[in-house]
Amino acid sequence: MTTSTPDETAASEPVADAGIAALAERVAGIAGSDSWTADFGNAKVRVDRSRWVEAVEAVRDEAGLEFFSFLSAIDWSNEVAVGEPLEDPVEERYEVLVRLSSGRDNDAVTLATDIPKDDARLPTLVGVYGGANWHEREAAEMFGIEFEGHPNSGKLYLTDEFEGFPLRKTFPLLSREIKPWPGMVDVEDMPSTENAESAAAASASPPGDAQEQAMPQGDTTKGDENPEADAGGGEQADSPPPTADRTDGVAAQLPSSAEGAAEVPTPQSPVPSEESEAGAPEDEATE
Amino acid sequence: MSQALDPRAAAHVSEVAVSVELQTPGMTLNIGPQHPSTHGVLRLVAELDGERIVNVEPVIGYMHRGYEKLSEVRTYPQITALVNRIDWVSGFANEIPLMVAVERLMEIEVPERAQSIRLILTELARISSHLVFMSSYPLELGAATPLMHALREREHVLELIEGATGGRFHPNFNRIGGVKPAAGGGSTQKKVVQDLPKNFLAETRAAMDNVLEVCDDIDTLVTGNEIFQARTMGVAVLPADQALAYGVSGPNLRASGVAFDLRKHEDYLPYHKYDFDVVTGDNGDCFDRYRVRVEEVRQAARIVNQAIDDLPGGPLQAKVPRVIKVPKGETYVRAENPKGEMGYYLVSDGGRIPYRLKIRSASFSNLSILPWALKGLIVPDIIALLGSLDFVLGDVDR
Repeated sequence: MTTSTPDETAASEPVADAGIAALAERVAGIAGSDSWTADFGNAKVRVDRSRWVEAVEAVRDEAGLEFFSFLSAIDWSNEVAVGEPLEDPVEERYEVLVRLSSGRDNDAVTLATDIPKDDARLPTLVGVYGGANWHEREAAEMFGIEFEGHPNSGKLYLTDEFEGFPLRKTFPLLSREIKPWPGMVDVEDMPSTENAESAAAASASPPGDAQEQAMPQGDTTKGDENPEADAGGGEQADSPPPTADRTDGVAAQLPSSAEGAAEVPTPQSPVPSEESEAGAPEDEATE
Repeated sequence: MSQALDPRAAAHVSEVAVSVELQTPGMTLNIGPQHPSTHGVLRLVAELDGERIVNVEPVIGYMHRGYEKLSEVRTYPQITALVNRIDWVSGFANEIPLMVAVERLMEIEVPERAQSIRLILTELARISSHLVFMSSYPLELGAATPLMHALREREHVLELIEGATGGRFHPNFNRIGGVKPAAGGGSTQKKVVQDLPKNFLAETRAAMDNVLEVCDDIDTLVTGNEIFQARTMGVAVLPADQALAYGVSGPNLRASGVAFDLRKHEDYLPYHKYDFDVVTGDNGDCFDRYRVRVEEVRQAARIVNQAIDDLPGGPLQAKVPRVIKVPKGETYVRAENPKGEMGYYLVSDGGRIPYRLKIRSASFSNLSILPWALKGLIVPDIIALLGSLDFVLGDVDR
């Protein structure tokens, strides 16, 4: 999420991305912004919140990006209820993205703006692109962002009685409160066991990971920080079958990892979640 | 009792009386959520003036499964199984942009053979999706026979997909860096394994012949049919500028005369190796949306035939780490799915699970133009337009 200056970007990008960098620079000029990136084929221009509507309108008219692809948001949060927390602390904010593209060639650009969490408001784009209507309603109910001047502020997907904003990072996922990682028992290595550490270290991993994987076994940070941290790569054909020891380990671990939820149903009772199919093997283990 | 009104009030009262007398009372008609014409649980609240539509408010979300949230607690290989279920009529095609997005961030080069297999199966998914349209659309307008023809061939196409992937609707066949090797194939790095089933290429070629034949059948049965034309020609015209502003994509956009096809403009799969035409319509009405899809099936069959003629050999999988960790970064990859532009905005923080995965599904934007497009039309046009947009509620609600 670092915003590189145009000069750095141009120097570090391979030749194939030169066109995207040029597009990003051109659109940034139109939008009145000097902050843009062109990494991984994604031309991204940051605009100031106060110029949001006029910047989008200018890009539509002057850059000819008349196709409204989507509008959404990212919750940059240092505190997460589910999933992995960010490695480095970030400034708490919502980042609203709108993706615009051309209807003639492959020009496409992402416009982004930051809005503070204690003042999550942004003027609506419905007057610029008709398609923004539903996308803004979705972002509003999912992130709690208010789009000022929107013609219909009702919920889109959720029921009217729904409380909370599901895509905020602090919104818990009920099924993961009950079963932190369904499915890991039968197909995947357990986190913080010797097997996982040695298997991960032995496998070909990206260069950046080598140091982390080679940590001594006694190091507890990996296991404690997140039970999901080492559960990846389950699809590989050559992953070893779980042993009885490791299955027991899960059963013993379960109550402690689920203690946050006070009224946890017994594992045998039906779990009111979309995860029930994946949780089946774990039920057996607990018995 | 009688009280003299001042002249202005009296004029007002008489005006109100006249307008009440002349106006037919408005009516609110609720269509769905369970209705045969809505392709799933879509509810429409239509305000009618007689048979004219004053306003239509689609009510969606009955199928909302929260895939974007669920993706934030799953490893990348696990997400493949989720995205199959977004547009279940063309499940295979949903996997492609996600895989390409992950591969782009990890800077993985996918082997040629895997890319070609992905391309063939994507086009087969397109054919099967369009064949569903070609069977259900005439049915909604009152013609039952085409359904038999189109669904019969679709079944053969699904059998091909099932033969190669093991699943009719939810193949879950793509792996990061390639496609899934055949069961028991062992390491894909060391030797070439039997990947596609025996006779797959010959059977595919035969199936394409049948598909082209059924397109001709449908043309004979439906395209020239006077009743069908009366129901669709000039009905619910989407002008190109409105379609673009609403994010309407795919065949619906091309029917409005915009020759935009991501297969020509993006390089997520090697479409540049094959000849095919981008089919466009002239008027942007329901009939054009139908005609474009029939022609697209022919073009897809053309692509498949070329692709199986020069299917490259080699491995099915690039060398990937055993544990998939995606480097820090964000990207957006879009693909031309049967329904339109399907894309994933992937934000990774360097871990095994995405920090954020925004799913841009085609049907969501395609359907959002409905209130605009239906204003002033009559009730039977609702069915004609809904059918011609060819949406799937799983793709709308995600």
